[in-house]
Amino acid sequence: MAAVNHWNTTQHLILVILGFFVAFAPRYLPIKIFTQRKIPEWFNEWMRFVPVSLFTALVVKDVFISATYQVDIMHHLPEIVAAVIVGFIAYFTRSMALSVVVGLISVFLLAMVL
Amino acid sequence: MTKQVPNPNEPKWRSTLRVSMPLNLSYIPIGLACGVLLHAAGFNTILTGLVSIVIFSGGAQFMIASMLTINAPLLSIVLMLFFLELRYALLGSSLSRYLTKETERFKFVFALSMNDENYAVNYLKFATDKKWTPREALMVEHYSLLFWTVSNLIGSLIGSALKIDLTVVHFALTALFLYMIIMQVKSRLTIFVGIIAAALAAFFLVLTKSTLGLVISTLIASFIGFALEHYLKTKKPGSRFLYKIHSPGSKEDAVEDSGENG
Repeated sequence: MAAVNHWNTTQHLILVILGFFVAFAPRYLPIKIFTQRKIPEWFNEWMRFVPVSLFTALVVKDVFISATYQVDIMHHLPEIVAAVIVGFIAYFTRSMALSVVVGLISVFLLAMVL
Repeated sequence: MTKQVPNPNEPKWRSTLRVSMPLNLSYIPIGLACGVLLHAAGFNTILTGLVSIVIFSGGAQFMIASMLTINAPLLSIVLMLFFLELRYALLGSSLSRYLTKETERFKFVFALSMNDENYAVNYLKFATDKKWTPREALMVEHYSLLFWTVSNLIGSLIGSALKIDLTVVHFALTALFLYMIIMQVKSRLTIFVGIIAAALAAFFLVLTKSTLGLVISTLIASFIGFALEHYLKTKKPGSRFLYKIHSPGSKEDAVEDSGENG
């Protein structure tokens, strides 16, 4: 791939700086606000379900959703099968490293056959 | 998280490195691929290093690369980045109860290099390890930042000489999140919330055609979980939904402990 973009370095730098602000604001503001005020207990109870919901949403996006935001199962068969394998590995070994390594190997091999 | 017996004399830099190592290693192929793509999009090596440090988000950097190659206007790239990064608000909100005793400066630095993956590692440690401190969590962030940035720089230098199958290497992160889901499962209710979250995520991702769907589905699914748990605990304490799930090989589940560690 040749450099198809005609932007110069200054424009890239402006993009990086603006990108920093839009990435930093959602990272920082909730931490700043929610650590200063007294947070009602129900809010904390609610936030306890955020990790499992967010991680599931991220996995669904990776495994079932195409780049054009459509549900696509046929082209994701290697990922779907590998995801099931990873689920079992994670459940029985409880090892993060093993889950990642087995996941990479299985998706690599499955992509060749499926 | 690891099977090794923790050594109390192990220096912090080493114990945190050990905790962050699976994440660090999965960042290497993805970081290389990201560096290659940014190079192809016309980013020079210094800017690639800079974007890896100040944005530090695989999703955002891949999006910058692909939108630059289709010559999208600056404003629309920044706007897309904003929607993409909006989900970080969820990470900060759910970690904030562990950071209440920290200084303003610490919170600022902590927020700077927080992203999905190191949040996942740190949240699990906070939930399972009472001794886990925000300072150690920050070290995990910085280790992952280091591996990510160096991999991006190398990818940028190698440039198009390197052929990486993006769909394969990206699965490292998918596997990481899958592992995190499995570690979060503590009751039938959690499984139910996961199923709801999956259905809502598919629906809202297709509906919004953007990662904003992740934010909406997470907010709704987690709220349903919270409301259902509240209802069951007050009205039906013996409900089967609240049954604990036993997992093999774990002495301590990733149970989000109830309130006492303020």
